[in-house]
Amino acid sequence: MTAPASGSAAPAPVAPAASARPRRSLREWLTGNPVTLKELRGRMRGARAFIVLIIYLLSLSVFVTLLYTLYINSNSGGYYGGSTLPDRQVLGKFVFGSVVGTELLLMCFICPAFTVGAMSGERERQTMDLLRTTLLRARTLVVGKLASALAFAALLLVAALPLQSLAFLLGGVAPEEVVIANVLLLSTAFVYCAAGVYASSIMRRTLGATILTYGFVLLDTLGLPIALMPVAALSSGLSYGVFLGPPPLWIQGVLLYTAGVLISTNPLATAVATEVVLISDQTLFTFSVPLSDVLGHTVNAPLVSPWLPWTLFSVLLGVLLILLSVAVIRRGER
Amino acid sequence: MAAIIETKNLTKRYKKLTAVNDLSLSVESGSIYGFVGPNGAGKTTTMRMLTTLLHPTAGEAWVAGYSTRRQPREVRRVIGYMPDFFGVYDDMTVWEYLDFFAACYEIPRPVRARLVADLLELVDLGHRRDDMVDSLSRGMKQRLCLARTLAHDPQVLILDEPASGLDPRARVEIRELLKELSRMGKTIFFSTHILSDVNEICTHVGIVEAGVLVTEGTLQDIQHRLVPHRRLQITLLDPTRAEETRLALLEREGVGEVRLADPPQGNGSADAHSAAPALLEVNFTGDQAAVSALLRHLVARGLPLLSFTEAPHDVEELFMRVTKGIVS
Repeated sequence: MTAPASGSAAPAPVAPAASARPRRSLREWLTGNPVTLKELRGRMRGARAFIVLIIYLLSLSVFVTLLYTLYINSNSGGYYGGSTLPDRQVLGKFVFGSVVGTELLLMCFICPAFTVGAMSGERERQTMDLLRTTLLRARTLVVGKLASALAFAALLLVAALPLQSLAFLLGGVAPEEVVIANVLLLSTAFVYCAAGVYASSIMRRTLGATILTYGFVLLDTLGLPIALMPVAALSSGLSYGVFLGPPPLWIQGVLLYTAGVLISTNPLATAVATEVVLISDQTLFTFSVPLSDVLGHTVNAPLVSPWLPWTLFSVLLGVLLILLSVAVIRRGER
Repeated sequence: MAAIIETKNLTKRYKKLTAVNDLSLSVESGSIYGFVGPNGAGKTTTMRMLTTLLHPTAGEAWVAGYSTRRQPREVRRVIGYMPDFFGVYDDMTVWEYLDFFAACYEIPRPVRARLVADLLELVDLGHRRDDMVDSLSRGMKQRLCLARTLAHDPQVLILDEPASGLDPRARVEIRELLKELSRMGKTIFFSTHILSDVNEICTHVGIVEAGVLVTEGTLQDIQHRLVPHRRLQITLLDPTRAEETRLALLEREGVGEVRLADPPQGNGSADAHSAAPALLEVNFTGDQAAVSALLRHLVARGLPLLSFTEAPHDVEELFMRVTKGIVS
């Protein structure tokens, strides 16, 4: 069906042609998305951002001080007790691990809060219709919301760098560890912020989006021990109840890789397992685990340090959630 | 004049409810079109379909020749939409709000600063530039929302109840703004409950009830269709000659009922010390030439006429005539 002749007067274009877009500077790129700019202006206005930053750093400091005190007062030396590293370096590793672990835990619960109201808040404020009648693309809206949340998360990470660097005074922390710890933190922030955006896109109300997002975060973080329990029980049951010794290699392999997958989909477990692998195998990339059965067959099961599959998993899941959010927003109301 | 908004058999159904039913309307370019109807008549649903927010169940709509179904982006480029709620961000200043929406319309940054200043001047909010949006009065927020709809210089403004909930002063301000925008060449399509606004500013009216367009056209057209006779108001300086005038009127062809009404209050031309002038209301069927001939006839008779006018269209009466009080 074509437009009626009476209404076919084409309007003069208002916006500039998109084809002749000049190269943009970094500042222009950062502020080129109107949603990012608006969100950051709103987020940083007043005392709110300052208070969030203070609470974050205070909680981090309190946790790390507590863990440090506990460590100093215990003679066992905790997990690192069996290592051959000098005491001060062990302490350095412990402080660094404590800071990063606490940061990770805080990130898991703070990041979703940055985005759970991203889209549902627009609906509640009745501004979504206004945005949808402008030329703003769904992807610009979604990416803008996510980018502003990630920018604030990045600010929290940068603000915590001095706390991380306390460990450098004691030694024992390799530069690779620092980089990987921050990759882990950023990927965690990315996937949980994306989860918040997606929940906010599909739920009409922010309350519903909050429940959905934190449900996912709890399942991903605390659900893992529950999921690992049957794997451990199965492994133990097979060893002592069925095979009266190590089960066949393929069963061990399945259990090992299942545990690996479960660990690599959980940021906290990934952090701990990555550190364990680093200390025991001195590697941040690939290593192998020897498996043997009752008949004396042995095989080296190749594995990668959990931070690699976690980063891949979080980036892929985050991108998928963003694409789904864009599709939901683009579809709009039917 | 070409139609800038056109719908053909536009229909929107929600399960069992038909919100808009087979609606075909046409809005001329440059007109101020009042879309009138009771609550639940389907006005907002129609507007949401025109603004690409809702997909019609059946039928088609075009704005400036672009299909709302197939060319939503082109439609958005030529319309400015103001819903029946404010839709403002509470954590922004007035200029940030306009700057944000101008950026959403892909207006380059160097142009935006000047544009925001011009828009604020147009809606008389320049002095509140750096205030938080939340601190504005209802009328100011409404004017700010109107400024937002103008950020990309659209051809068509689609405004849902622009004057609802405003105090009389704010209503007059919005009305004046709409007239100003019309003078700037914008086509204004707005829904309203306030029939006096329709009377005051609309060039065209569409009356919708239960999702169906009951009537459409200029106020005169509708008046002639629904009320074939004209209503003339004649004021006589000397009330004692009212009966003589009545008889003189009844001599003429086309004159129907002649009724002696209460005299108008506050007629400045009347002498305060003399008796109050008499007002005659006349139902008259005939064209403008016949009206002129009737006036000449009365003057020739030497009747002391103070005024001779055609009564304005009473939109309320028209509205009551065409609607039945049904909601969808």
